[in-house]
Amino acid sequence: MQDFLELAVSAAASGCIYGLIALAYLLMIRPTGIINFAVGEWAMVAAFGGYVLLTKYELPYPLGMGIVLAFMLVVGWLTERVAVRPLVEKGATLLAPILALLGVLVITREIISISFPPDPHTVPFPFEIQYHKYFIIGVTFAVFAGAWLFFEKTLWGKSFEAVAVNRRAAALMGINLSRVTSLSFAAGAAVAGLGGLLVSPNISAHYLMGVPLAIQGFTALVIGGVGRVEGALLGGLLLAFAEQFTVRYAPIPGGFAQGVPLLFLMIFLVLRPTGLLRARA
Amino acid sequence: MLLWVTLALGYNFLFGICGQVSFSHFAFYGIGAYSVVILLFQLHVPLPLAILLGVAICVVVALVVAIPSARLEGFYLALATLALAQLFVVLLNEGGEVTGGTGGIASYRLPAIFGMQLRGPWYTAVIVALLLATYFILRKLDHSWFGRACRAVRDNPEAAAAMGIDVARTKVVAFTLTSALAGIAGMVYAFVDNTVNPPIFGVENAFLLLFMVIVGGSGRHAGAAIGAVLLFLLPFWLAPLVGHHHVLVFGVLMLAAILLQPKGLIGIWDRFSR
Repeated sequence: MQDFLELAVSAAASGCIYGLIALAYLLMIRPTGIINFAVGEWAMVAAFGGYVLLTKYELPYPLGMGIVLAFMLVVGWLTERVAVRPLVEKGATLLAPILALLGVLVITREIISISFPPDPHTVPFPFEIQYHKYFIIGVTFAVFAGAWLFFEKTLWGKSFEAVAVNRRAAALMGINLSRVTSLSFAAGAAVAGLGGLLVSPNISAHYLMGVPLAIQGFTALVIGGVGRVEGALLGGLLLAFAEQFTVRYAPIPGGFAQGVPLLFLMIFLVLRPTGLLRARA
Repeated sequence: MLLWVTLALGYNFLFGICGQVSFSHFAFYGIGAYSVVILLFQLHVPLPLAILLGVAICVVVALVVAIPSARLEGFYLALATLALAQLFVVLLNEGGEVTGGTGGIASYRLPAIFGMQLRGPWYTAVIVALLLATYFILRKLDHSWFGRACRAVRDNPEAAAAMGIDVARTKVVAFTLTSALAGIAGMVYAFVDNTVNPPIFGVENAFLLLFMVIVGGSGRHAGAAIGAVLLFLLPFWLAPLVGHHHVLVFGVLMLAAILLQPKGLIGIWDRFSR
């Protein structure tokens, strides 16, 4: 029973990480329809930011975290400026920015792998190691509560929603489309960065950490559905529980556990492509 | 390099002409390579049968992925194939005796065909034949009813459907066909170095293939070939300058191509030759 509870907490913590990455996708997909696979790399960049500020310069955790997140906002905003906006303005199809962002993914990863030696870099825990799981869960729930309040209660959130429902109509209603788009990318980068920073003490910052995170986050998003903010968290939690409990209790070798999220992704894409939660009408 | 060109041509048909993004092209390359090796040397199937079975495996896997994802709009095929490509590498690494794990399978030898051992330059001739065959098949298809249907599906699925084209079926057939071609190329690859191992068949190379087609010029056979040759040679030219970080240059090139010249290098060529 003790074992079961510990497993449940650690599954919940990694589910929260997946949920954050899924939320980052969702923030960008909702208003723009663009699937940005570079979120995993953004998480990686933030983890390296954590390494530089917290391990090398030993800044206090809240300050370091604040700088990293502010930096991620800028990164997201810049990415949108450079790789997305010119294409949208040219009236290119949705595919073009998605491919451009794949280019950004590779560029980001290579820059990091040039700048740092290839071995993993440790990032310190904010508290004692045994409390870190609770810290992850707490922060994630706070972020999701904030996102939920933002979308449900504020005028800004409503304008995001309006853009998601109908871009043209939203523009005609006087909503500044390009501002919504750049905000959604900045926020997406910050949320992805938060996920990367939170997970980095457990797995260490490494330049190849991005793609697995991107896939797991996307699986969480597919499970939960892109329609609702809560879906991302629910999807992340479900995925993490399925993953960790298979590893613990199912008689298969550990390496196959990597396959669990991928199988989940396939099954959900086939059976329930809209996700578990439907968008609210 | 010739194999890369072959792959790029096939991928160009899927991505450039039919407008579908897939990341599993290298997984099928790998499925072809592994299945022919396993069939030949662990199950001792005769060579012609092994090739046929290998193609059959590719076709079945491709259908399993494509049929559900073609019903859905948008990028579900890209996602399903991304998952497939990752899953395939996991399976290879964990396959134990059958796939040889992370080390792969090595030290086998192409069985004699009609009593002849194909080696060295002769084997290069096989690859050239494969490249030409792939090119002619794809060109023929491109100029046929099916190629036009593919282009229609890429440019405007609704209009294509209104013209009586079965959009989902066109997508599934294009995906299955190009995947099978990749599988055949993989079988040829298996005997180039007489070794197969997992890293080659991962998502990384699938990205590279996408970059090749985009940089060269998507939707054009010549563009795909130029992109493949260029991106294959670039690492050698760049090695003295940036060492192993040529992928960074690829990323920049690809981003520049999308932003500045969506038709790729072949588009620049067209402009000057006019």
